[in-house]
Amino acid sequence: MAELMNQADFREALENAIKGKSANKSPFSIAWAEGKLTRAHLARWAENHFHYVGPFADYLAYVYARMPDRYTEAKDFLLSNMYEEEIGGDRHTDLLIRFAESCGTTRERVTDPDNMSPTTRGLQSWCYAVAMREDPVVAVAGLVVGLESQVPSIYRRQTPTLRKVYGFTDEEVEFFDLHIVSDEIHGERGYQIVLEHANTVDLQQRCLKICEIGAQMRLLYTTALFHDYVEGDISIAA
Amino acid sequence: MPIVTFHKNGEIFVGEVKTDTNLVVRAGIRQFPFPHLSYGCGMGKCAKCACQVLAGGDKLPEPNWKEQKLLGDRLAEGWRLCCQIWLSDDIELMQNTKTA
Repeated sequence: MAELMNQADFREALENAIKGKSANKSPFSIAWAEGKLTRAHLARWAENHFHYVGPFADYLAYVYARMPDRYTEAKDFLLSNMYEEEIGGDRHTDLLIRFAESCGTTRERVTDPDNMSPTTRGLQSWCYAVAMREDPVVAVAGLVVGLESQVPSIYRRQTPTLRKVYGFTDEEVEFFDLHIVSDEIHGERGYQIVLEHANTVDLQQRCLKICEIGAQMRLLYTTALFHDYVEGDISIAA
Repeated sequence: MPIVTFHKNGEIFVGEVKTDTNLVVRAGIRQFPFPHLSYGCGMGKCAKCACQVLAGGDKLPEPNWKEQKLLGDRLAEGWRLCCQIWLSDDIELMQNTKTA
């Protein structure tokens, strides 16, 4: 039977829950890192990615509204995360669209929900469901620890390739640069909230489970991108 | 691990950080140099995290395009954007509210 973990053990368990299902292992991420994608493939990625990350502030807004008033620091974190996504500097989705345009697609195509795959729609719906239905601390574990905290390691691998192999300019790949910093902050703050407020065995176990599912959902999403848009065009190392 | 010596408005704060650390990330997660390091967007747009490097600047990577764009001539005076640099060696920095 599970026991209440101290914060160090709980953190390690959260990291392990994510590790096995890291999206770095998806065939799409591998093909990206190996420089095998075309700009058309990357355009399809951007058209899908917009609908996953575009509503991130919306997801967090549901969690914010349901986070108990006494958890002031957690609420403030969610608010600043939303602010940074939307109006803290450049709107993050605008930078994603800039990248998409450099891949040959258009703002209209990117923002059109008809251009996302069914799996992307599934990931987006899962994010909304978690934000609206789960205990807010569990929702932070799923959305911020399970999903957002993965981003720096993914983009750290992918961004140099975008410049060196695919030949994008610094301005064109700014979307990826900024996420290395902001998501590192968001991911770590997410950990801090979960470690502090998941203070029962039940909450800890639910956080672990949702991290595992979140990482699984992201892996599913990127794997589907490969099957939907790339498979057949290229082969990658197993 | 890198030792960071941080001057702010006449006071000096010293702390040790892990290798490959970004000080804005550290401040964002409420660890040294929090609450002393001022920062804003974290994306090289606002320059609120700009600091003058007093020592250890030779160990830093060359300024990237954002630093070149935002800091211009101030680069020659040792200014850098903390949100754009990852530290692997000891460094001494100064950030004054009036000049950042």
